[in-house]
Amino acid sequence: MSLMYRIQHLRDALAWEGEIPISNRYTMGIAGERFFREIKDNGQLLGTRCPECDLVYVPPRLYCERCFAHLEEWVEVPGTGHVHTYTIVHLDLDGNPLPEPRVLAFIRLDGSDGGLVHYLGEVEPDQVCIGMCVEPVFKDRAERRGSILDIVYFRPI
Amino acid sequence: MKQHVYESIYLSEKDFQEGRVLFETWDPNARYAWDAGVAIGRFLQGLKAGRLIGTHCPQCDRVMVPPRMFCEHCFVPADAFVPLQDTGTVVTFSLCYVTWDMERVEEPQIPAVIAIDGASRGMGILHLLGEVDPQAVKIGMRVQAVWKPEEEREGAITDILYFKPLQSPSHPITQSPSPQSKRGAK
Repeated sequence: MSLMYRIQHLRDALAWEGEIPISNRYTMGIAGERFFREIKDNGQLLGTRCPECDLVYVPPRLYCERCFAHLEEWVEVPGTGHVHTYTIVHLDLDGNPLPEPRVLAFIRLDGSDGGLVHYLGEVEPDQVCIGMCVEPVFKDRAERRGSILDIVYFRPI
Repeated sequence: MKQHVYESIYLSEKDFQEGRVLFETWDPNARYAWDAGVAIGRFLQGLKAGRLIGTHCPQCDRVMVPPRMFCEHCFVPADAFVPLQDTGTVVTFSLCYVTWDMERVEEPQIPAVIAIDGASRGMGILHLLGEVDPQAVKIGMRVQAVWKPEEEREGAITDILYFKPLQSPSHPITQSPSPQSKRGAK
């Protein structure tokens, strides 16, 4: 047995394969709980307003990011907005090709200074443009479970 | 400035199951492949074939197990793979009444470092002892590998199930004077 040993076949290259079982559970927090509960029960988006800075946060924050004030004023926002930026995704998280490309966009929501990252639907990828006006499409009430995916996608108005 | 303190909420499994709290779950795909390298790759292939393999240093003449590609004493490349025996001597051991995930067990697991016959003195591998009364385990005890049946071996350290005692006198390793007693004799 010499050390001038060279791997001749791929099957001789020994790799130790394994899997680390990891399961994460992420709770929404105090503001997130109220935000998603409202989406689940009423299909309504909420934000919090800082009267000092005149900013409306969507998703809602408990504290103003500018002045650190505690935010207690909850406001309803209509859910409509416009595409601030977008990308077309062809691969899934593991790098496998998707059956259909999907459009992901950052949507600036009307009546707020924030926005959501979400899918765009009912639109061809090459028809999407920055500034496009969109509205959310909610799942049926019975199917909603208090998740960002209770909104199926945003579609052009 | 007014302070705002939110009441602490302690969540139980029931709160999640009964939908009292909203949450997301995510199970990341944490599959990995760890390249064993030339020396350990060869060692694992050896285990599959039911043999222990070491490497030899041409400068200090040590036979090293687990095998490595260079001698860490001389910094020279190893020059050969050397077949070893599947017998050895207990160098140190522990009686574990708690498993790796902290479960209490009645029958202890006995991890041990076993100096392998055919390798240089003190060169050995970490494995388990079996077929032995925990109270009877001693440093210097002679042991032999108990292998899985050939068709079940997969090129893993677990191809050896455990080491069991050999019915023969203790290895000279424990009979040679310790460094302290040598100094004392001067």
